[in-house]
Amino acid sequence: MIELKNLTKHFGSVVAVNRLNLFVSKGEIFGFIGPNGAGKTTTLRMMGGVLSPTEGSVIIDGINIAEEPEEAKKRIGFIPDRPFLYEKLTGMEFLRFTADLYGIEDGLFYKKSEEVLKKFSLDDWAEELIESYSHGMKQRLILSAAILHEPKVIVIDEPMVGLDPAGIRLVKTLFREVAKKGTTIFMSTHSLGMAEDVCNRIGIIHKGSLIATGTIEELKCLAQVQERDLEKIFMILTEEETIP
Amino acid sequence: MKEILILLRPRFLSFKNRRITGKSKGRKVIFLFFGTIGIAFWGGTFFIFYRILNYFKGIESFGDILAFKLLSTSLITLFSLLIFSGILASLTKLYLAKDLSLVHSMPVSREKLFLARWFESTIDSSWMVFIYSLPLFLSYGIVYKAGVFYYAMAGINILPFCLIASSLSVLTVMMAALFLPAGRIRSVFVFLGLLLFLLLIISFRLIRPEKFVNPEAFSSLLLYFKNLESPKSPLLPTTWFFDALQTSLSGSMKSALFHSSLSWSFAITMIFVIAWISGAIYFKGLSKSQAAPVRFFSFPRSKRPRYLWHLNFLSGSKRAFIVKEIKIFFRDQTQWSQIFLIVALIAIYLYNFSVLPLERSSIKLEYLQNILSFLNMGLVAFVLSAVSARFVFPAVSLEGEAFWIVRSSPVSIRTFLWTKFFVYFFPLLFLSELLIVVTNILLHVTPIMMVVSVLTILFMVPGIISMGIGMGAIYPDFKSENPTQSFTSLGGLIYMTLCMGFIAAVIVLEAGPVYNIFMTGIRRGSLTLFQWIWIVGSFSMVFALCIGALVIPMRLGEKKILQGDLELHVSGHGTDSNK
Repeated sequence: MIELKNLTKHFGSVVAVNRLNLFVSKGEIFGFIGPNGAGKTTTLRMMGGVLSPTEGSVIIDGINIAEEPEEAKKRIGFIPDRPFLYEKLTGMEFLRFTADLYGIEDGLFYKKSEEVLKKFSLDDWAEELIESYSHGMKQRLILSAAILHEPKVIVIDEPMVGLDPAGIRLVKTLFREVAKKGTTIFMSTHSLGMAEDVCNRIGIIHKGSLIATGTIEELKCLAQVQERDLEKIFMILTEEETIP
Repeated sequence: MKEILILLRPRFLSFKNRRITGKSKGRKVIFLFFGTIGIAFWGGTFFIFYRILNYFKGIESFGDILAFKLLSTSLITLFSLLIFSGILASLTKLYLAKDLSLVHSMPVSREKLFLARWFESTIDSSWMVFIYSLPLFLSYGIVYKAGVFYYAMAGINILPFCLIASSLSVLTVMMAALFLPAGRIRSVFVFLGLLLFLLLIISFRLIRPEKFVNPEAFSSLLLYFKNLESPKSPLLPTTWFFDALQTSLSGSMKSALFHSSLSWSFAITMIFVIAWISGAIYFKGLSKSQAAPVRFFSFPRSKRPRYLWHLNFLSGSKRAFIVKEIKIFFRDQTQWSQIFLIVALIAIYLYNFSVLPLERSSIKLEYLQNILSFLNMGLVAFVLSAVSARFVFPAVSLEGEAFWIVRSSPVSIRTFLWTKFFVYFFPLLFLSELLIVVTNILLHVTPIMMVVSVLTILFMVPGIISMGIGMGAIYPDFKSENPTQSFTSLGGLIYMTLCMGFIAAVIVLEAGPVYNIFMTGIRRGSLTLFQWIWIVGSFSMVFALCIGALVIPMRLGEKKILQGDLELHVSGHGTDSNK
């Protein structure tokens, strides 16, 4: 469902992402972890079509995002780490705007929008301007907008930032539900607990390179540790990489 | 005092570090451009005051009265400007700045924090007024052959003058913040300021100052002069400043020092007063400004008007962008308050044409009317460029940090840019054609001149709008707190230069053919073959130029966005290798 081929991004002389190769299959929840500045957000932004790669390609559902960006993006629900929105629109208007961009018909929109707003406890705030929303509410609104068109792939950067415990639980349940229905989820996170809890497979990126991928068990073998502790695995793998 | 200086340090360091950002080349060009304009304006102000004062000096008996009347009016104007800009600056510094939560969490007393912020806002609101008041004082000093004492008095008195204005502004803002959220106060004051400015312009224009150059109207000038009484209360800071300057010009040192002491004592008292009042009400107002703004008009979901979403003849994505654009535009009070300004300026523009004293000119009336009409095409295009620089050029930047929504949506950048184009094209085409048709009617031009100007504007408007959108996409500023000000950037400067070049090229290309057509019409003759070739060639070139201006900037803007040069907040990385 998601294929990254030699994905590379340079910022001047800095190599943010270096020849990343990865395949994530349908219905899989893939966690992307790494230290600060490792290249997680850059990778996700290239996958969302927000940033163009210096080299390599992103293929979503068999479509190369560089060659057919509109077609590929129709299949993606992209959620950035910081919820910047159009502050002068109401929540409902923003959903309507998103629905129009993704070609959702009027009849379906009204049904779906009521449904997602209720799911994310935003129904009482639907007619308020986004500028009056809290950080967490904006994050919920972006999540609502991202799932409105039932994407085949959800690319999400730091899904839990700004969410309250109820929101976190809701997102975890939602991810499991949609993945069961065949949606692929690619998320970056600093929360190792979240990665351990929800993800089928985890990738560790360090200094722009993918240094390990696999299930928790596979990563445990790679790091040569006994206990199933992702934090320990993460520390060992990233520390090894930093040793010259 | 030490803490206040520490609080001011980030501002100083940010200013110092500007050269590190790597955009110094663009900044130098802007600095040079605006610096030249600034110096020219400064020189022009000095020259005008110097000439006026010299002229007044030459009038026996009431020349001095006129000169001092001018001084007192100028001081009142400067004081009003200082108060207005002080209100906006202190509102921003004390209630709306992004770093407020950071500085308020620091172990510094609120009083010191307030004083540091107020000091910053005083500098921000006063420096320009201070610089542009200097030619006024200098011209009085030169014309009245004043000594060092006068210049010293001017220097000593301008400081308390600025401090008093700034403290009155901050008092007003603190009071208002108790009742209104800070965001709304800015809108209200900007609106009131614009209204005041418009009233001033309209009333000044309706006085028709040009009639004063006509000696026959001189008796009414005396009447006008008698009525032009500026307020001169002994309780006004402008009066103290005025008296200090007037007495120092006449050499009365004691009196000048007395009035300066009044200014300084009041300014110092005001600093204590605002510090004391801030302790009581500043933090209350600030807490209120952190609360979520409430909408003026809100509808329950079922009753909400949805008329804009019924643009069903458009495809989903186009409709989405158009509706979003219109809603955001009209919900931003700073946008529509500027529309009032434009409407008023247009009314004045048209009024000017209606009162042109063409019959008094020595040039043949029909000839003059049509020359003016032809030149008016350039003027209308210039007005359009200025309006576009304010509204169209920032259109892409207005997406702000929410631009990720556009980039991640399944809509091409081309569609996005062209939707923006059409949102601005129709209203601005209407505006330009309205200006050109009404002015042509007022000028009683020939039908051929009417056709030429209407068609020329019809072809120029898309080019000017396209350059605005395209250049805005090439030079976006997604991180600006106020993207509408992006026209003062290097991109805005290039846009205006391109517009000027475009307008000049069209006018130059059309001048010869239009003259030939017009003169042939007057002489009731027919055009020669050479003239026909010239006309067809020139108009074809104008057409090609307009098509180029329409297509090329949009393509370049699209290319620039697609190249990935437009990075948003990529964590830890500021620039792109593709640059």
